[in-house]
Parts: sequence; C-alpha cells; structure tokens
Amino acid sequence: MLDIEKKELMIQTLKNKVNKQLLYYLDVCARCAICRDACHQYKVTRDPKYIPAYRAELIRRLYKKYFSVLGKLFPKIYEAKDIDDEFLLSELYQVTYACTGCRRCMYYCPFSIDTLHILSVAKAILLSAGMENQILRELSDAAIMKGENIELFKDIFVTMLKESEPEIREKIKDKNAQIPIDKKNADVLYVALSGMHSILPAAIIFDKAKINWTLSMFEAANYGYFLGDSQKAKTIADRIVSEAKRLNVKEVIITECGHAYRVMNFFYEAWTGQKPPFKVSALIDSISRYIKDGLIEVNKNPSSEIVTYHDPCQVGRNGGFFEEPRYVINAITDNFRELTPNRTKSWCCGGGGGLVAIPEMDEFRIKTGEIKANQIKETEARIIISPCENCRLQLDSLNEKYGMDIKVKSMMEFVAENLKV
Amino acid sequence: MTEEIKADMELDLKGLLCPLPMVRVSQNITKVPVGGIIKAVATDPGSLADIPSWAKSTGNEVLKTEKVEKDLIFYIKRLK
Amino acid sequence: MNMDPFSFIVAILVYVAVIVFVAGMTFKIIVWAKSPRMKINLGIYPKPRNGFVRFFRIIRDSFIFPQTLEVDRWMWVFAMLFHAALFVALFGHFRLVREFTFVSNVIGQDNLNTLGAVGGGTMGIIMLIALGYYLFRRFASPYKDISVPEDFILIILLAGIVGLGDHMRFFGAVHTEDYREYFQSIMRFKPAFNEALAQSQTRWVLSWHVLFVNLFVIYFPFSKLVHLIGTFFANKVRSE
Repeated sequence: MLDIEKKELMIQTLKNKVNKQLLYYLDVCARCAICRDACHQYKVTRDPKYIPAYRAELIRRLYKKYFSVLGKLFPKIYEAKDIDDEFLLSELYQVTYACTGCRRCMYYCPFSIDTLHILSVAKAILLSAGMENQILRELSDAAIMKGENIELFKDIFVTMLKESEPEIREKIKDKNAQIPIDKKNADVLYVALSGMHSILPAAIIFDKAKINWTLSMFEAANYGYFLGDSQKAKTIADRIVSEAKRLNVKEVIITECGHAYRVMNFFYEAWTGQKPPFKVSALIDSISRYIKDGLIEVNKNPSSEIVTYHDPCQVGRNGGFFEEPRYVINAITDNFRELTPNRTKSWCCGGGGGLVAIPEMDEFRIKTGEIKANQIKETEARIIISPCENCRLQLDSLNEKYGMDIKVKSMMEFVAENLKV
Repeated sequence: MTEEIKADMELDLKGLLCPLPMVRVSQNITKVPVGGIIKAVATDPGSLADIPSWAKSTGNEVLKTEKVEKDLIFYIKRLK
Repeated sequence: MNMDPFSFIVAILVYVAVIVFVAGMTFKIIVWAKSPRMKINLGIYPKPRNGFVRFFRIIRDSFIFPQTLEVDRWMWVFAMLFHAALFVALFGHFRLVREFTFVSNVIGQDNLNTLGAVGGGTMGIIMLIALGYYLFRRFASPYKDISVPEDFILIILLAGIVGLGDHMRFFGAVHTEDYREYFQSIMRFKPAFNEALAQSQTRWVLSWHVLFVNLFVIYFPFSKLVHLIGTFFANKVRSE
C-alpha cells in the first residue's frame, strides 16, 4: 500500500494535468476499440491491454473516481478505481512505457483520440508515485549532469572531432573543412547525437554546402521526454537553448532524430510557455533545401539497389515531413520503392518512445516489429533509409532477427556517400 | 605508468551506439559487489560524456578513462 | 384524469429528464470551456492549409470518419447505419410536435402516413440490428475485456427504446394523431391520454418507451454519449 501523502500527490498530479484536450478524450471515447488493429503492439501480441482504448481506459478509471459526479457515486458503472490500486498501476506502467508514441491509433480513431496525450498524464502519475522507468530516469539524470559538467568531456570530445577532420577534407577535397565547435555568431547550430555517425556525414554536407555552422556539445536526444518528466525534459532542452543563445546563432538544426525535433519545435513551448528564440529546423528538411537550392549536388543512380524509406512517426505523421525525404531519395536513385502503407498511415517500427534504450523491452520490441519487417521484405529493397535514430536502431535489430539482408542508413549518410565533389 | 586496475567484470561495448553503452553499464553495475570495478570498452564517442555523467548522477565513480586507438576504456567502481 | 399512476409518473419524469439533460450538458460544456487549453497544436500531419479546409475536415471526420473504414469495416458500417437511422427516426418524431403539412400538402396525408410507417419501421429495424451487432461485439474478445457496465447499460436502454418503439409501429392500433395529443399534453404541462390511448393496451408500451427514453436522456450527459458534441472538439484538435 502506498501512504496517504503519496496518494494525495498522485491525485493532485492528475488534477494538474487536466486540460481541454484530455477532457475531450476521456469523455468521448466509446470503447469501440476500432483502434485495436491500428496498434502494432496489439496486432502482434493480441493482448487486450495493448489496445489503445484500454490504455486510455486506465486513466479514465482514475479520472471517473475523483473528478466525475456519477463516477464518485457509482464507481462500478465505469469500473472506476482508486489511484493506488496496485493492479491498475502495474498495468498502467506496462502499457505506458511500452507505447512508442506513434499515434497511429489517433489517425484511425473516429474521435481522433490522442492516446499518447493521455499516456503523458499516466507518466506524470507514475512519476509522482516514484514508479517511473529506471533506465529512462538514469539517462535523463546523466544528460542533466552532462550539461552541468561540460569540463568532464569537452577536451577529449574536441580531440575526437579534430581526429575526424582529415576524413572530411579527403571526402570533399577541401583542406579547410572542419567541425567547428563553440563558434560565436555562426548561422547554424547543429545538434547531433553523441556518436560520430551523426556528426561526420552532416559535417560533410554542411562543409560542402559552405554553411557557416557550429556543432553543439550536447546530443539532441531527450530522455526526459520519454520518461515523461517535463521538468527534466525542459532542463535537458535548455542546455541546447542556452548554447544557441550564447553563440548567437540564427537557426538550430536538429539531427535525424524523431522526437528531438518535436521537443524543440513543439514541446519546449508547452513546458516553458515560450518558443525558442531561433528558427528550429530538421536536418532532413535542410538537406532537401540544400539540394533544391543547388548548395550541394548528388550523384544520380550510384547503384541499381532498390531503396526504400521508413517514415518515422515523429518525423512524418507527427512532424510533417513526408515529401522532403522522398525528394532527396529521388534525387539520388530511380530505384525508390515505397513501403505499403506509408506517410501518415505508416506503421511504427516498434522502437520508438525510447524503447530501444530499455533492455527489458528488447524482446517485446523485436517481436512487435514483425509488421515493419514484413513490410520491408515485401519491397525487396537492399537499402532502407530512415531519418530517426530510434527507428534505425530498431531496424538494425529487425534486420538481424528477421534476416532482412538490408542496409539501414540515415539520410545524411546516404547523401554524404553520394555527394558530387 | 600507473598500475593496472583489476576489474571484476569486463564489458565489450564496441560498436554499440549511444545510449546503449551507458545502459549496459547501468544494467551490469549491480552484478559486481559494492567496491567492485567494471572495465567497459566502447567505441562510441558519446560514451565519453555519457558514462562519467551517469556515474556522477547515480553516485558511482569512473576511476579512469583511457583512449587506446579507437577504443575507449572506462574503469567504473560501484560505490553503493 | 384518465392516466394510470405508472403512466402519469413516467410523464412527469419527462420534465425531470429534460431538466437533467439540459443542465447536465450545460455543465459538461462549461467544464470543457473553462479548462485550460494546451498551448501547442498537436494535430496529425498533413495539416489543413487554411481555415476553410480545416472546417471541412472537422465536419468530414466527425460525420464520416473515413479512415475508420480502412481498419474496421463492419464497425464503420453498423455505426453509420445506426447513427443515420437514429437521426431519421428522431426527425420523424417531430410529427408529434407538428404534423409535416409541408409533406402531406404535396403527397397527401395517406401517403405521408405510409411513408412514416415504412420509413419509421425500416429505421427501427436497422437500429435494432445495429444494436444487436454492438451488443454481440461487446461479448466477443477482445472487446469484452475493455467494456465496462456503462457500455451495456446504454445498449440495453437503447434496445428498450427502439424495441418498444418498433412494437408501437408494427403492432399498435394507435395512430400518429393520438400520440401527438399525448405528446402535446405533456408539452402543455397537462399530461393526459386521449380516448383512443386510454382504451388501448398500447398505452403500456408507450409508457415503457417513454420511461426508457427518460432514463436514457437523464444518463446521457454523464455518459460517453457526450461524443454527440465532443466529437467536433476532439476532431478539431486533430486538424490543428
């Protein structure tokens, strides 16, 4: 049993999270469960608790108990539950941290119920009960610690960047090419992920396009967002915002990382009440602009391999970039073949929502990635491009487990490989 | 120049991308006794910041970080 | 007074139902309106180009929800049939407020009566079949796992309303004019049966029909049926 004080805190948390959208969603759902087959996790596991409507129902049961007249009088009608109901909380934990946040259910719902929005409330409640996911919490804390202790890694980080510069110079035949860091008044601050795989290809593209850029010392990924802790998420995002302000850049380009772009472009405003004081772009959009504007040129048809594209949910359905990536791929190859379905109806790869970072989810995410794996196999493609790190890590796992014999690439990698120099 | 640190466990994290090296260390830290040491070998430069930051925020200690060619070697001591 | 006590209580309950419904829905809408709105727009892409397209999409998504057809065809078909039949049947009830003279003037009173009988009867059957599907589906896996008593209560109330309505339509010897007199007596706050109703056993069917309607209408604002209005707001969020 949880103590009284904690219970009060949880109820208060639910109360604080009530807004228009949440009320619409909690009040209108008819439990028709049309959403069931929209969710890859239900479709593969056939476990009712993964039906989006059921996940939302768990929060509705708490809401009815504390905030609805009839729910207080006749809790049985709604199966309303106490907020410290252990079975409910354990199910809530499972289905909330399992959700990849792809919002495919929202697309198919006749009322357009945003299950992810409801589960963000679930995460807040779990946090207030101290029941949040431990790995995501450690990742968030480490990211905050990193922001406060740049001296821990800065020197060695700069050394590694310098060591990579010859590779860029070789590639684009420009002996002045470099990976600038801490450069004041640059036009662009590029926020990568912490591996070189997200820095090097982008550096090649920026340097070739003669962009006045500088590299951020922080990674775009925000585990505070996956954890569902808006305070931590804000602190993590603030590392980048203050860096951009300090360097006085005009534009911040977020690397190919689905949630990171949304965090900067949407959620930062929700957490702080204000938009970041600079333009926020997604790298995929910038690359397509550079090609359109002739800043970079690409080689056409470098090979006859079939290329396919996976729409990351946070980039496509939830981020709005459908045509930009296709423009870039079509600029490079005539052998582009779509997955079916795609764009706004795209299936989640199964790795979103931070799942790839949670070891206990490994088996589940690979199992529920079956739909994506089959979709990819159907295209007979040898290269799959996806501008999201979560998706790529998942696609790599699927490639191995389902024997897809495919190369998983980021768009920057694909473009850098096929850059005309 | 310094004496070799004796590790209770070795983790091969080569080729793993961020944040997995940190996640693996976190997963395995409870498998060594308090005061025990994990030697982790990673290649992802992101781990240079991630692992020490993780150690600091969880109250563990990175005794030493070495760079040998492409390998990044961390000695992490479990403190609690 | 020519009303039995049960029918009289049911008739009085109509006033309670109307008050609860209006007050309940008003309360619901005030609660919605007064809650803070999340500042950021989290709609689904591609988003509408302008306000006109957005308006069109909200109407389309609320009335037809075409995307649902792709993922659950039968549920979509029965939902469409049920709601359309409900709308037509409800519209037909306005004959009780005032005879549709604009129709009878054109096609004649007899033809209007036939149209009412055939049309109303068809709608009643469609609704009953759709409700049967709803109920059957609730008992099937996995839907039974996510259903709560509210879902069954609403289906039972609706089945009661529609079943009794169908009974009056198909078996009753009572005519529209008599029901109109009953309805208007309630509207004049002097509930009464006319001679025809008072003489007929159909009055029991009528009173039970009205009782189920009352219970349904009273429960309405506290149930998931607020999607009658909420669907427009929720679908608006999708397009923002």
